[in-house]
Formats: sequence, structure tokens, C-alpha cells
Amino acid sequence: MDLNQLIGRATGLAGGAGAALLKQLQHVRVPGAGQASATDDPERAAQRWRAVTVLRDPAEVSASLPAPLAALGDRVEVRVTPAPGDRGAELAARYRGTPTEQQVGDLRAALRESKALLEVGEVLRMEPQPHGRRAATPQGAALEGAAAAAPREGVL
Amino acid sequence: MRAATWTGVNEVSVETVPDPAILNDRDVILRVSRTTTCGSDLHLLGGYIPAMRVGDVLGHEFMGEVVEVGSGVRDRRVGDRVVVNSFIACGNCWYCRQELYSLCDNGNPNPGITEGLWGQSPGGCFGYSHAMGGFAGSHAEYVRVPFADVGTFVVPEEVSDDRALFASDAVSTGWMGADLAGTKPGDTVAVWGAGGVGQMAARAAMLLGAEQVYVVDRLPERLEQVRQHVGAEVIDYSTTDVMAELRERTGGRGPDVCIEAVGMEAHSTGVQNVYDQVKQQLRLQTDRPSAVREAIMACRKGGSVFVLGVFAGPVDKFPLGAAMNKGLIIRGAQVHGQRYTPRILEHMARGELTTEHLATHVMPLEDAARGYEMFKAKEDGCVRAVFLPHG
Repeated sequence: MDLNQLIGRATGLAGGAGAALLKQLQHVRVPGAGQASATDDPERAAQRWRAVTVLRDPAEVSASLPAPLAALGDRVEVRVTPAPGDRGAELAARYRGTPTEQQVGDLRAALRESKALLEVGEVLRMEPQPHGRRAATPQGAALEGAAAAAPREGVL
Repeated sequence: MRAATWTGVNEVSVETVPDPAILNDRDVILRVSRTTTCGSDLHLLGGYIPAMRVGDVLGHEFMGEVVEVGSGVRDRRVGDRVVVNSFIACGNCWYCRQELYSLCDNGNPNPGITEGLWGQSPGGCFGYSHAMGGFAGSHAEYVRVPFADVGTFVVPEEVSDDRALFASDAVSTGWMGADLAGTKPGDTVAVWGAGGVGQMAARAAMLLGAEQVYVVDRLPERLEQVRQHVGAEVIDYSTTDVMAELRERTGGRGPDVCIEAVGMEAHSTGVQNVYDQVKQQLRLQTDRPSAVREAIMACRKGGSVFVLGVFAGPVDKFPLGAAMNKGLIIRGAQVHGQRYTPRILEHMARGELTTEHLATHVMPLEDAARGYEMFKAKEDGCVRAVFLPHG
């Protein structure tokens, strides 16, 4: 394997590592980093309702689910309830059964896109946009992996 | 087009990059007329915020002329001369409706990064790392501005570019600190940091009716700017015991409002400075909070401390006991610029807010690397380097 192949292999691994790191970020336990309580076991974590609060009338949200959420079909249960304090609607969803990490990521992205469609009318697009030369480095690939995974990760 | 990009720790390069394009209906494309360095850029440059990718276009404080308008833009026209807020906010979510624009739910397309770090995601920001959305910055000939009806403001004819530029971020950040800290007529306000944001926090406090305003720094040229252009009193922390000085000047009470405008790379004196520098370099803490510590200790009982400087992670030796037992209100925020820019432009038009003196070094964009070097080293009294992308 020549140097370029080695760098390519390292870069590919780093991209995956960046996404994996992001997945674990909210559970990092170092002194001062935040979480003091127990964490859910993976099955319970996967089965939780995931929710966004949308500044729209609950009836309006219930009447027509946005396409990203509707696309998940009967695989998910959806719940729309009024949010307290005139904050609009709480739009929540969870999978029937125990989903894979990939499916949970799909659900996070669908909820975020649905919220943007309901509140803004469109989802922010980011590509293409200007940037300078990007050297193919493992660090850069790790960050790109993390950024690519970011819409599907987080605490939602 | 030409743009200033981050190419590694403390390295900036001006290179040719693709032009921006309208990607969403509410975007405009701006021909950038002025764009300035900000102290918070130094945290990115120095690698303290590890979400910068080589090639990212820097810059978040800027103004220019609208040259292209998306189909969903209602209130902006080609040819408008506008100043742009650094945070990207939709104007439609609950946070935007509360005028907490930097907390916008729909402005950061990479929420997973900051949710993991902080439990929730703030909005996005131009040129401020992939953690804050990965938006291309303003140190370029052109920039895409999403949600343009919300984040751009037409500059009144009587306000020059040199003055209006700083309504983008420095003045709005300073004003926010003074306002949200609850500054009232008759208050005593102390501001840590005499950079652009600190000076403007002091000026805003005066315009909000504060009776005594003190600014703390160590750099003589910045303290002189405060005296000359802001009209506040100054304290040099390198030669003066700040807490003793403030007690003496406030009848033993301490300031009603303490505003920290320094951030994660604060300098201090003696053992504390060495301790924080070593811990930060060893990555045992991400930030050096010495000015926040001092603000909490100096503040009067029941007073208010506002953190304007940018911080990223956990800090050490935080005087929580003082904050709790003295009954302090502690608050912080990235800038809710859209809330303050209209009134700031009015004050600028009336001549009550002047900012031209902040632009100590004005240069072509091609000299951006040199500009950042000067700004970082505070060389030749550099307070802000301002870049002119079109000469």
C-alpha cells in the first residue's frame, strides 16, 4: 500500500470516527462535562419519544404532517399536543418496536426538517458554498464526517 | 472570487474560491464592502474551537450591497446598502419571536454537534466553524446571506460605512450585554475588556443611563480610546487591584452590573495566569475564565454579571459559591443582533454612537493574513483590522 492509499484509508476511517464521536458526545463523562445521572440502556434510549416544539397551531400540524415525517409512514407513531405558554405544538414521534441507530437518525432528521418546513417553509441548504483548498487529512475527514452526521445526531 | 480562509492553527490565506449562490428562497447575495476581524475569530484561528476545516472562509462582522435577491425575499432590493448581523436567524421560531435571535431553532444545520456539547443548539453564524453551521464567512468579495429580511438592515444615508460596519456585531453585542444585564439609570457598570465589544458595552451602558461606567484592560492605547471616544473611566488591571479600586469608587458596594467582554483567552496577572494557561494548553480546561471570575467577585450583592466573551466548554475554579451567596444574576449570550441593530443605527445617525476609531487598520482583503497577525499580537495598537474586498 503506497502513501496515498494509506492516507486515503486513514481519511476514510477518520470520517467514520468523526461521526461515531458525535454519536457519543452527549454521553461523554469527564469531570465538569455535564451529565450526572444514569444513562438509558440502549433499548430504552431508542424507544423514547423524540420531540420538537413548533410555533404553529397544533390543529394545523395534525391536519397535514410534513413530508419528511409522513415518509416514515406506519413505522412511527406520531403525537401532536399543544405546547404550554403559547409555544405552539409539540410534535413527537417514536418507532414501533426497537429501531436501529440508523432509523433513530432518520427520525431526528425528519423531525428537524419537519419543524423547519412548518416554521420557515423550507430547509436551509448548505451545498455548494465557497471554500478554499481542502487537504485530504484525517482530521479534516473526521470533521466532515461529524458535520455530515450532525443533522441526524444530537440529543433529540 | 477572492476570500480569506483558515488554513491551519494561526494561519490565514487569501485564495480564489467559488462564488456563492442563492440556495434558499430567502437568501440574498451581498457584495461585501467592509468586513472586520473580531476577537472571537482568534479562538477559531488558534484552534480552540476544533470544528474548523482547512479552507473555511472566515469573517462574521460585515456590510455591503445587495446584488442578488432570492424569490422569497420581501423587503430587500438589489442596490440596498445593508449591515448584516453575525447570527443567522429565521425570524419565525419561538426564540426569534422572543427576540433571542442567536438561539434560533432553524439557523444551524449542524445541531448535532452543539447539542452534544451544550445540551441544546444555538443558531448558526457566518464563518464560525462547522459547530455553528459551517456557513462561509464574510472575508470575501461576496457572501450568501440566508433569511435576509431578518438579518440585514438598510443603513441610513447619514451613517457612513466606517461607522455602520460595527453595528453588525461589536455594537449590537455590547448593547445586548448592557441591556440584558438590566442596566438602569443611576447604575454603576464595570466592563472587563476594552476591545470593540467592551467599548461598545460601556457606551451602551452610558446611553441606557448608567451614572458611572468603568472599563478594565491593560493595553494603554485601548484605555485611551475608552477615555477619548467612549467617555468612560478606565482601570489598568496590570497596575491596579481592580476589586479594591471598584470598591473604593463605589462606596464599598461594587458595581451593579459587571460585563465580561474578554472570552476564553483572557489574560490575568500572577499565578492565576500561569495556572490557566497551563491547564488550557494541556487541554485540562478549554477556556481561561479569569475575567469572569473577577467580575463575579467584584459585583455588588444582588447584582448582575453578563458574559459577552465567547466560551466553549468547562472552566475551572468558577466561583459558584460567591455567585450563589451574593445572590447574583449571571447571564450570557451570543449576540441577538437583530433585536438591537435598528436602534443602534438610529443612535449612529444622531451621532450618539461613534465607532470609526475602532478601525485602527484598514487594508485590502489581500492583506488579511497580515491583518490577523497584527490583530492577534495587538501590534501597532491594532483594535480592529478592517478588510476592503473590492479595494
